[in-house]
Amino acid sequence: MMRKKELKLVLTFHTTADAMAMEKACKEQNAPGRLIPVPRAISAGCGLAWCAGLDTRHILKQLMDRVGIEEQDMHECMI
Amino acid sequence: MNLADSKKKLALAGLGCGLVAACLAFFGNPANMAFCIACFVRDMAGSLGMHQAAAVQYARPEIVGLVCGSFIIAAATKEYRSVAGSSPLIRFVLGMVIMIGSLVFLGCPLRMVIRMSAGDLNAWVALIGFILGVSTGAFALKKGFSLGRSHETNAASGVVLPAVMVGILLLAVCTTLLKFSESGPGSMHAPVLLSLGGGLIFGALAQKSRMCFAGSIRDVVLMKNFDLLTVIIGLFAVMLVYNVSQGKFVLGFDTPGVIAHSEFLWNILGMYAVGFAAVLAGGCPLRQLILAGQGSSDAAVTVLGLFFGAALCHNLGLAASGTALNTETKELVAGAVPMNGKVACVICIAVCFIIAFTNKRKAGK
Repeated sequence: MMRKKELKLVLTFHTTADAMAMEKACKEQNAPGRLIPVPRAISAGCGLAWCAGLDTRHILKQLMDRVGIEEQDMHECMI
Repeated sequence: MNLADSKKKLALAGLGCGLVAACLAFFGNPANMAFCIACFVRDMAGSLGMHQAAAVQYARPEIVGLVCGSFIIAAATKEYRSVAGSSPLIRFVLGMVIMIGSLVFLGCPLRMVIRMSAGDLNAWVALIGFILGVSTGAFALKKGFSLGRSHETNAASGVVLPAVMVGILLLAVCTTLLKFSESGPGSMHAPVLLSLGGGLIFGALAQKSRMCFAGSIRDVVLMKNFDLLTVIIGLFAVMLVYNVSQGKFVLGFDTPGVIAHSEFLWNILGMYAVGFAAVLAGGCPLRQLILAGQGSSDAAVTVLGLFFGAALCHNLGLAASGTALNTETKELVAGAVPMNGKVACVICIAVCFIIAFTNKRKAGK
């Protein structure tokens, strides 16, 4: 069955390794979200992004500051 | 137009690319090569005199079309971004590895899929190596592998490769400077305008759909995401229909005329090196050409590595030979990977491991 698309927070990174580090940090600290391919509407590149609920922006930002991950951009898009 | 917002559209993009490949095969490109990036870059390197293998020299307009198709569509849809600076020489080496692995197997991942669609079981064997190589690259990504970030650079930097490609095409069409094969795979080609047009369409579709053979498997391994794989399945489906309808589908090993060999271990290891290096470089040979077209000088350096690797393969006797019929004795002569090629393939895999586990991500803050 097709999953209904929802408006989500999508964090993009400068490198794939940053996205992988984000996944590791979120798993270790039980932070919400999952790894997805960067949505085509955002970029022509083929890297990875972190997708989570819109209400997690501050939690994720704090976590990234703590573990030293710099996002490239934060988007809101239908996933 | 967003070709990537649904699996249906991605499959359509794959079908479109498959149609282009089938048309080019029908109009004269070598059997089961149709649109092989490694073979065509190798032919182009030969036409420029970078190697002297007389049977594989032709400035393939498809390669020019791919790069320029990506450039034009990226510029037209405001996606052209001139970027550079992510470990260029390591990318050059990875380009070499991709080409050496490809010519040990006899084809890039795109040709592997085309050969699979023609019933060549050697390509199905090689797929095992390719999946293992991509999985090893994905494991390195999980362990923190990174070549560092790229940065915005002068807009003109990203135009260099498309401009060089146009220059090569002009030299090929308007002068007698470049070399052309009189026999062998390099002499078999579709008409120039058809090849160029096919390349432009393929390049535009690949840019919009982000078609990537390594990326499709990487996404399945890392995220169980099948979007990019949908494009590849679309291409495979069209080529399967084409091969069956044209009587070119022959299930088996040792099929003469396919330009392939049946050394299972080296089919696997060749594509293992390609899959591994492609994940480290951020894309398969096709994807490198597309990224170069949309402005990445890093991908353009990888493409230069492909050219250099092709020259090495033929100058140093690394490339495998295909199974063929001896025209005089009518006996089947088995294709093989020469000892030099086997040694080079093992070195390439070792180089991939060194690159994968010595280039680590640094924390951003």
